[in-house]
Amino acid sequence: MTARLALAGAALAALAVPLVAPVYYTLLMLPFMAYAVVLLGLNLLFGYAGLLSFGHALFIGVGAYTGAFLTTYTQIRSLEVILLIAAALGGTVAALVGALCVRYVKIYFGMLTLAFGMVFYTFLLKFYRVTGGDEGMRVLRPTLLGLDWSAMPKTDYLVGPYYYYSLAVLAVATIVMWRIVRSPFGLCLRTVRDNPAKAEALGLGVARYRWRAFVISAVYAAVGGALLGPPTGNVDPTLAYWTQSGNLVFMILLGGFASFSGPLVGAFAFIFLQDSVMSVLTYWRLVFGAILAAIVIFAPGGLMGLFHRPSALEVSRR
Amino acid sequence: MATILEARDVTRDYGGFRALAGVSLAVRDGEFVSIIGPNGAGKSTLINVLTGVLRPTSGSVRFKDRDIRDIGPVALARLGMARSFQLVHVFPDLTVLETLEAAVVSRLRRGSRLFASLAADREVESQALEVALLFGLGDKRHAVSRNLPQGDKKLLDVASAFALRPEIILLDEPTSGVSTADKTAIMDILVGAARRIGCRAIIQVEHDMDIVFGYSDRIVALHQGRVLADASPGEVKANRHLVDTVIGRPPRGWSIAASDPDPLPPGAERSPAKPPAGSPRPAC
Amino acid sequence: MVTTNVVGILMSGVFHAAVLFLVAAGLQVVFGVQKIFNLACGSFYALGAYAGVSAVTAFIGAGGPPVLFIVPLVAAGLAVGLVGLVVERGLLRYVYERDETFQLLLTFAIVLMMEDLIRMTWGTAPRSTAGLYLAYGQARLLGAAVPVYNLIVIAASVAIAIGIGWLLARTTFGRIIRAAADNREMAEGLGVDMRRVRARVFTLGTALGTLGGALVIPATAAMSEMGVELIVEAFAVVVIGGLGSMRGAFVGALVVGVLQAVAISLYPEMEMLLIYLIVIAVLLLRPQGFFGRAAA
Repeated sequence: MTARLALAGAALAALAVPLVAPVYYTLLMLPFMAYAVVLLGLNLLFGYAGLLSFGHALFIGVGAYTGAFLTTYTQIRSLEVILLIAAALGGTVAALVGALCVRYVKIYFGMLTLAFGMVFYTFLLKFYRVTGGDEGMRVLRPTLLGLDWSAMPKTDYLVGPYYYYSLAVLAVATIVMWRIVRSPFGLCLRTVRDNPAKAEALGLGVARYRWRAFVISAVYAAVGGALLGPPTGNVDPTLAYWTQSGNLVFMILLGGFASFSGPLVGAFAFIFLQDSVMSVLTYWRLVFGAILAAIVIFAPGGLMGLFHRPSALEVSRR
Repeated sequence: MATILEARDVTRDYGGFRALAGVSLAVRDGEFVSIIGPNGAGKSTLINVLTGVLRPTSGSVRFKDRDIRDIGPVALARLGMARSFQLVHVFPDLTVLETLEAAVVSRLRRGSRLFASLAADREVESQALEVALLFGLGDKRHAVSRNLPQGDKKLLDVASAFALRPEIILLDEPTSGVSTADKTAIMDILVGAARRIGCRAIIQVEHDMDIVFGYSDRIVALHQGRVLADASPGEVKANRHLVDTVIGRPPRGWSIAASDPDPLPPGAERSPAKPPAGSPRPAC
Repeated sequence: MVTTNVVGILMSGVFHAAVLFLVAAGLQVVFGVQKIFNLACGSFYALGAYAGVSAVTAFIGAGGPPVLFIVPLVAAGLAVGLVGLVVERGLLRYVYERDETFQLLLTFAIVLMMEDLIRMTWGTAPRSTAGLYLAYGQARLLGAAVPVYNLIVIAASVAIAIGIGWLLARTTFGRIIRAAADNREMAEGLGVDMRRVRARVFTLGTALGTLGGALVIPATAAMSEMGVELIVEAFAVVVIGGLGSMRGAFVGALVVGVLQAVAISLYPEMEMLLIYLIVIAVLLLRPQGFFGRAAA
């Protein structure tokens, strides 16, 4: 129950941000919310299904470029349509890629997903006539709930309607994931994570559950990716590079996986930490690497893990 | 009586090593079959072949008159077969209740429900609780599996197999790691539970000869991958050669006379459910 | 002439393979013993490259004869390999008992840190040893002009390959490595001091990577992205050849190096795409690669 209260409190705080915080920080909340959606999905895959993907940025790329393609090559401006198509595309690609990948575990799964992610990255980079190459593509301002905000100055649009829209998407995504995690499906997923042999002996098809988790997490990543485009107005291939996938895992670890709000905390911590470190040092990677190393060695449960019991992934495996 | 599970001439090779050589065995409705034999005889391999984890190199396995060689453990579980493991297998992060709920969810085919709340599913919870109480794990139901003592983990492994309400259950050393005093209690629970849920047959691999002789309808003795004997407990005890090979030399005072199918050490009392006090444990 | 082109491309591919082999060999020996896939191997490669440039530049600046530039290059490449010892004793040893996932993530943390450490030390502009490349002249091979330096590196790489083979088969250390790779508990049970073995093995693996980076310097410039880019190539080599296998590193490096050279000259856009597709194909059809043990 405290978890629910905390989340509700956070939601209220989030509602108030554009009204009380400086514009700079409100704008920073936008990538946070987008990554939070992505991470909710990735946590299902990593925390609840036990699969570490090093290619998840692929689906962020799919979502982000969906927005770019639709606003550039078609008349579609509706963010609802963009999000729906991004989700569908992400899910479809994941269904195909996942079918190949989920039969493998641990390092082989990581390697396969890394390879697929880099295939997509190379595609984005090399087919520049279509994708704009390393300069990327523009994303035009979408309409929200059918309302056209193009008359508004950009900043007002972003800290106003777009902010609340993103917050609503995040809220819906959170509620849906909450239900998924507490469903019979969520329980079976955890059995597959904890002991695949025994799960099979109980009649639970390991590959099937992993595949479903993979597809759901990809849908979330694509939706989050689509939300990343409009604030900067531009998407580029680095969104899909393998180090991005690594950053995602870092965010989850920072917040604490296998805890429901871990990814939210992790995304928040990462975005704001990155901002504060970057404003002081250009060498933010050094700081982040050190933090990641410290987390792995001393606090594998992440920030939320400080309140939690350690999970099977954290303690000795050998 | 129908044959539920049948192995015909099963061979299983690991590279150059032949673990099972032409093993045939049939389990019928209502039978409690124990598989015995020294370590390395192929008992666990046989269980793994029977439960679809391993494919036989040659020969066939039939469950409810279906060839199950290529089916795999997941489909077999759905067909009505359950098993427990020799080395304890639990879900480290799940509580006792969650483990049992997972088995019930699987049986009720509710694993695809993504948006339904598990906590609100009274049917799943009550059935899981029933099994927990049956196995004496009721007051530990919220304990995380990883923190359970070894014996309770074993119990949980077996309990979750029972939660599937299978038609046949295969137990790989169900009482190993359990103190001698508790063994018969557990076996009684097992047999009682099997009867309650309508289980049609039980197969176990077991080393403790008291348990074996106390509960089995039939004993299958394996030695170096072959079936040495497949007979009732009385016949097995009467076969001296068999006893020597598989069980080991009997201790002083335990006479094996052909006329006495169920010999007791001198001065021992036999009570209905319990095995003879002071009976020797075989050397493995 | 067509032959000149083909030979030229092949030789360029083999040169690249020679360098890749060194890095991959380092990866394999570490994976074999520690069962850790070291994502930071690319970072060590970059470190070796930058150190090599600095050493050679200092050497030439101090009046050293250009012909001997290879000496400080190799020396620097090997010397910075000691960073591996620091990394292993300082960080890696805390996660040996943990899940693979965390080990992988720790190596990723090292990637991040090293990227910035290199940037801090050498800045972001590319560094090169311009001009020294052809200090040894060129040779004519079947009509193609091949820099003698390349041939030296190829020969050195082959020599090192043979050396590693001898080390593994004939020396006590090599036997310990193979035993530990096969069965860690047993090796420990036989009295092997795993701590020292791991430290040495990781240092060896790192040194191979830094040496590879140093050796490639005359042919290309040291750039800030080279580490992060190399890891994907090295990973392709190791997947194709098979995790944990030296022969696999050799074969895999040849495959990747030559294919890359061919792709660059014929279909530049397809260059890395082809490699990734092969990696995916290998992982799906034969996950253990050519020489690896069955796994997955």
